[in-house]
Amino acid sequence: MLTPSDDRSAASISGLTLSLERDGVRSNVLRGIDLEVLPGEIIGLVGESGSGKSVLALALMGLLPERSNPVVGGSIRVAGVDMVDGRPDELRAVRRDELGVIFQDPMTSLNPTMRIGAQVTESSRNAAESLRLMSAVGIADAELRFTVFPHELSGGLRQRVMAAIAVAGKPSLIIADEPTTALDVTVQAQVLDLLRELRDEFGCSVVLITHDLAVAGQIADRIAVLYAGRIAEIGPAADVLHAPTHPYTVGLLRSRLSLSTPRDLELQTLRPETASAGERMLGCAYHSRCPLAVPECRAEQPPLVSVAAPATATDTETAFENEPAATTATATVTAAAPAPATSHDRACWRSVDDVQGFIHTGVSAASVLPVSVSGAAREPAVRVTDLTVTFSLKTGWRGRGRGGGRTSPAEVRALRGVSLQIQPGEAVSIVGESGSGKSTLLRVIGGLTPATSGSVTLAGGGAQMVFQDAGSSLTPWLTVGEMLRERLLPLKLSRPESQKRIDHALTAIGLPLTVARVRPSELSGGQRQRVALARATIIAPAVLLCDEPTSALDASLAASVLNLIREMRKELEMTVLFVTHDLSVARLMGDRIVVMTHGEIVEVGPSADVIERPSHPYTQALLASVPEIGVLS
Amino acid sequence: MSASDPNEILLPPLETVSTVTGAPEVISPRFRMPGFPRGQRTPGRRLSWVIIALLIALTLLAIFARLLAPFDPVQPASGLNLPPGTPGNLLGTDSIGRDLLSRTLYGIQVSWFAALIVVASGLIIGGLIGTLAGVFGGWLDNLLMRFTDLFLALPGTLVAIAIVAALGYNLQNTLLGIAIVWWPYYARIIRGEVKSLASRPHVEAARLAGTSRTRIVFRHIIPGVIPTAIVTASLDIGNVVLLLAGLSFLGLGQPAPAPELGADTARNLGQLLTEPWIPIIPGLAVLMLSLIANLGGDAVRNLIGGRR
Repeated sequence: MLTPSDDRSAASISGLTLSLERDGVRSNVLRGIDLEVLPGEIIGLVGESGSGKSVLALALMGLLPERSNPVVGGSIRVAGVDMVDGRPDELRAVRRDELGVIFQDPMTSLNPTMRIGAQVTESSRNAAESLRLMSAVGIADAELRFTVFPHELSGGLRQRVMAAIAVAGKPSLIIADEPTTALDVTVQAQVLDLLRELRDEFGCSVVLITHDLAVAGQIADRIAVLYAGRIAEIGPAADVLHAPTHPYTVGLLRSRLSLSTPRDLELQTLRPETASAGERMLGCAYHSRCPLAVPECRAEQPPLVSVAAPATATDTETAFENEPAATTATATVTAAAPAPATSHDRACWRSVDDVQGFIHTGVSAASVLPVSVSGAAREPAVRVTDLTVTFSLKTGWRGRGRGGGRTSPAEVRALRGVSLQIQPGEAVSIVGESGSGKSTLLRVIGGLTPATSGSVTLAGGGAQMVFQDAGSSLTPWLTVGEMLRERLLPLKLSRPESQKRIDHALTAIGLPLTVARVRPSELSGGQRQRVALARATIIAPAVLLCDEPTSALDASLAASVLNLIREMRKELEMTVLFVTHDLSVARLMGDRIVVMTHGEIVEVGPSADVIERPSHPYTQALLASVPEIGVLS
Repeated sequence: MSASDPNEILLPPLETVSTVTGAPEVISPRFRMPGFPRGQRTPGRRLSWVIIALLIALTLLAIFARLLAPFDPVQPASGLNLPPGTPGNLLGTDSIGRDLLSRTLYGIQVSWFAALIVVASGLIIGGLIGTLAGVFGGWLDNLLMRFTDLFLALPGTLVAIAIVAALGYNLQNTLLGIAIVWWPYYARIIRGEVKSLASRPHVEAARLAGTSRTRIVFRHIIPGVIPTAIVTASLDIGNVVLLLAGLSFLGLGQPAPAPELGADTARNLGQLLTEPWIPIIPGLAVLMLSLIANLGGDAVRNLIGGRR
């Protein structure tokens, strides 16, 4: 594995350590990473936020931020060039000739003032070649799209343009940093396919950085799981996914929601971190969260060593079944054994058997679903009748110019006649892609957006909302206590009484009472979302509206917030409306699922029915695009 | 998160604190404010505080100018045209024997307070109009902003000159003239800030929570505007100092014997070649005022800008 300047590898990282400075505090972001990227290989770098995966990508490109005063140890070689100490012009040459990059957000990484064609041609050097590349990455009508600006394209097309630029210089290595995270699920699948096609056609290697094991599992030949700046486990994709040997990988796989996660059980989450930064540095960084930790884990860092024997016969079988690409990658490597492409390494003191035994340990079987959903006899908690919402866009001179300059302003019909009834105590998930009108529906029900026509009737008790971005939904300069107290104002409680309510609310969401004196900026993302939930439920609302409350959180945290919402729902007997783009979340959170597209409801039904027997083609397409691993359930 | 944001990995995040901080720290990272680690002062912050201290010193100088000045600024004190460094007249005297140090100190007092008054009045008028327009929107927003545009369209300095010329040459009218052309900038900036804050989810959350409109404005919007307003205003003080000095240089300030930096420079310009210190000293005072004011504005921005 440790072959520092292997000529065959597209990139070779050995003993890489990196620390960055922020506000005068230095953090060790990467702590000893060895990684070979072989030619023609797709390697998935998986980790939660804070694992160092994005910084590793920047380091590979030699683009570490100067203002953070990076201190690098070890070496990074891309196409034989030292990316750590190389001369700036050498690095530039490598970036130009050997590297292609695809970022998460194609809107911000394309130049908004340049036409698409010109941007591709900057890398390809000639227009005909650009056209060919644009067609190659699956942009239909490339000639037509050649002269448009980035904002005139959809997210998926923009990502394709990024891909065209990335391959334009015939790179030997493409670095894709969360290329699918900002995209709708149907587009995600296309972009992943595209990456694999690029590899097949151009023979380049791909480093795919993602927080989702399943995304990596879809196309990667090998997967490296990063935790706290070190590789926890690395191996052929199928081995890592189907026979994980590190407790963290197991934890990630277990907390990942899928379409087969049991609906009525509490979701599994990783334990919260309790070790201080110093303690984490000393031993295995994962020790305080690891259910299998032994004293040794606290004291000494486990080395990354090969998993001695293949786990079980069945596992190896599935591995080769699901992994046609692995053979291609192995073929390019000459007889040297053990070749990196097949070696499965892990950094853990516990034995492989212990970890794999842990995979199959049972979980608590207490149901989190309410005992019964109230019958249809009662008045519905939410009644939406023939709702339409039309936004008129202020058009610029270009919009008015067409048709002689006297056309009416452009209109977007966000909702086109939506009707929906929700029973008290029922939970309904609304699923759709961006632009489907799902959030607009939620906002109209909450009274934040006025309806153009139609009506919304809410049961007494009103609606409260939990927003996607918890950070911006909390007033930055007010303390948590002040915000919660504000909600209690209409009750005209005495001070000790309202204090009691606040303490109770904080306890209910599992935060210490001291949080009341703290401002949102001092809280973590998961904690902020909990506070937002406390504010919404401190006086139990009739309806709780959730607008993608977990889509910005890491899988394990998302699971813990979902657990909390379901617990609250049971306890306060709330009606819950849960908007999400993620079908597996929708299935868990809703008794019924409503599927929306283009401002209309196309399918409504009990969760199990919609997931197992989707009737509308759109629902079927959505379901087909969900990345699944399909093990460990 | 995008790869272009290296800070991602440094934010101590979530319950899964997977960040690795170099220095062993005793406090739990859970409640550490991301941007403001405890006990850490970057060099930039220290410099900012030094400049703020200068700003305070300057204000104290202005307040106590009357006590600090050794002579009456309008009465001849000693010999004519004495150079700086003369015992008793530290900065020398002018052509009729008035003490230059005393005149400069009084001039600083007038300039500094005049600038503060103009900026404060601009902030109050502009803030009020901007907040009203931003909060209510609709026709009121249109009305107030078109009115603001009207003033923005006028060439400020010329209008100020016209007002002073029409009402008479004295300090009050100069201040009035500048204040009238100065507020529209603040109205614009504050309206924009109010609008963007009002569309943030935290204001929507407050609306959903049943918070009254007044309370939303005072608790959930205005506190967020204040840092921007303070930064804008403090960067502006220097401009007002210069404009005031310019107007008084043109003879639109206080009438003749009163000490004023711009006017003192202008009146004594004839001696630039023979006794250069007489016009240059008040000019340097203007330079110092506007420099400290501008640096002060930057310092304020450094100190409170990062918090948002």
